[in-house]
Amino acid sequence: MENSAEDYKIQSFDQETQLLLKTALKDPSSVDLEKVSKIIVDQSLKDQMFSKEAGRICHTIVQAEAKQNNGNIFRRNLLNRLQQEFKDREETRRRSIQEWTCYVTFICYIFDYLKVNNMPMVALMHPVYDCLMRLAQPDALMKEEEVDCLVLQLHRIGEQLEKMNSQRMDELFYLLRDGFLLQEGLTSMARLLLLEILEFRAGGWMLSGTAHKYYYSEISD
Amino acid sequence: MSDTAGSRREGDHSDHSPARRHRSSRWSHSRKRGIDGHLRAPGAEDPSEHTCSRDTERSQRHADRRHESFTTPEGRGPVSRCPARDWGSQVEQEEEKERDMQRYRRRILGSDASHRERKTSSGSSESCDSREGESLETDETILLRRQKQINYGKNTLAYDRYIKEVPKHLRQPAVHPRTPNKFRKYSRRSWDQQIKLWRVKLHTWDPPSEKGQQQVLDDMTEMALDDVMDIELDFPSLCEVEQPPSSAPHSRSLQEGDCEGTPVKMSRTDSD
Repeated sequence: MENSAEDYKIQSFDQETQLLLKTALKDPSSVDLEKVSKIIVDQSLKDQMFSKEAGRICHTIVQAEAKQNNGNIFRRNLLNRLQQEFKDREETRRRSIQEWTCYVTFICYIFDYLKVNNMPMVALMHPVYDCLMRLAQPDALMKEEEVDCLVLQLHRIGEQLEKMNSQRMDELFYLLRDGFLLQEGLTSMARLLLLEILEFRAGGWMLSGTAHKYYYSEISD
Repeated sequence: MSDTAGSRREGDHSDHSPARRHRSSRWSHSRKRGIDGHLRAPGAEDPSEHTCSRDTERSQRHADRRHESFTTPEGRGPVSRCPARDWGSQVEQEEEKERDMQRYRRRILGSDASHRERKTSSGSSESCDSREGESLETDETILLRRQKQINYGKNTLAYDRYIKEVPKHLRQPAVHPRTPNKFRKYSRRSWDQQIKLWRVKLHTWDPPSEKGQQQVLDDMTEMALDDVMDIELDFPSLCEVEQPPSSAPHSRSLQEGDCEGTPVKMSRTDSD
């Protein structure tokens, strides 16, 4: 990821925070990294659009800290906070679907961006699967935002996840198939999304040309 | 919700102590480290030990110097051997393990490339020249178990004396014991036999002691007679072994057995 702090979309923060983040990106050891990680996580849980940015920012700070003094205070704080939120996820979901989907989006971005030895962190694999499985439960499939979140993340990290543990991916897709076929009350959008992800995985994590046309082009009358 | 990440973590690093406790009475006086992993002071745990204090001191100093290389990735020091519960630590452990594995692999495979491998041509299933990269053992449980077995062997005064006495560049392939390479593909039986043989051979360097001969015999009786028969078939080179340059008289029975090549000679019932 790039060096220039201006590359990151942090305009939603106040000036003081923006400065803090910019400093963290360039000179991590000079700031309170625990505070920085808290700020980033808090914002990601509120703003789904920010999650992607957050993933990139975290990646940069982790690299910078490792390079600067071989430290991993930031990563450790980030991960432990993520773990805490993971433990409370059911309650978060009850309180706010939006916050819950924000969390899933964020943890998936972290899984994608923060690699260790060029591989995704094994410690996150099962938690990510757990989140996706939760999204594939009948009650979650009834909510379009959750289905949307699920398929979006599967598009992005499904292949990597499958490589790490294909059995769990199979289990997840049993749920998706069953949901698609049997569940009453799904919106047609939800069913479309599910059908697409089923085809996507069946095609080796990509869509054939015709399938792509079917799902993604405008239907001209 | 429960912490599924922690509970599903593979590769249990803990539980070294029960196995050790099991062996302590028989081996305690030739082990240079106590159960807690710390080097023993001379004569600390076993007052009846006859080792010359100078020897023990030297071996300790040497061991101290050697401490870095002795510690294995799986048994890395005071850092908790149990998988951490928090993600931060888990990831750090992941990182460290991978780094250590790479370093280890490079070291072992690097040294292998420069030796002839008569000793490892055991059994019929594996290739003698398992070229690196293609047929390496990567299963964590297997590697951990094998490393544990290696540690038992290296955690002996005999091993210490051996490596002091015979530097690597002076070692001869069939004569001097070589630590089995845990990264190579071997069947379970083949590996276990290699370890047994290696340990038996190491006894040649045991410190002079009254109990020495009994130890060698104890070691050998660990093998069932079946295994001993197989060893002859799998390791024909064993029968051609020259007398190792050792001053320890207690290993004589082993050497005689070698020269005559009859497995029966290695059994406990052999009188001498």
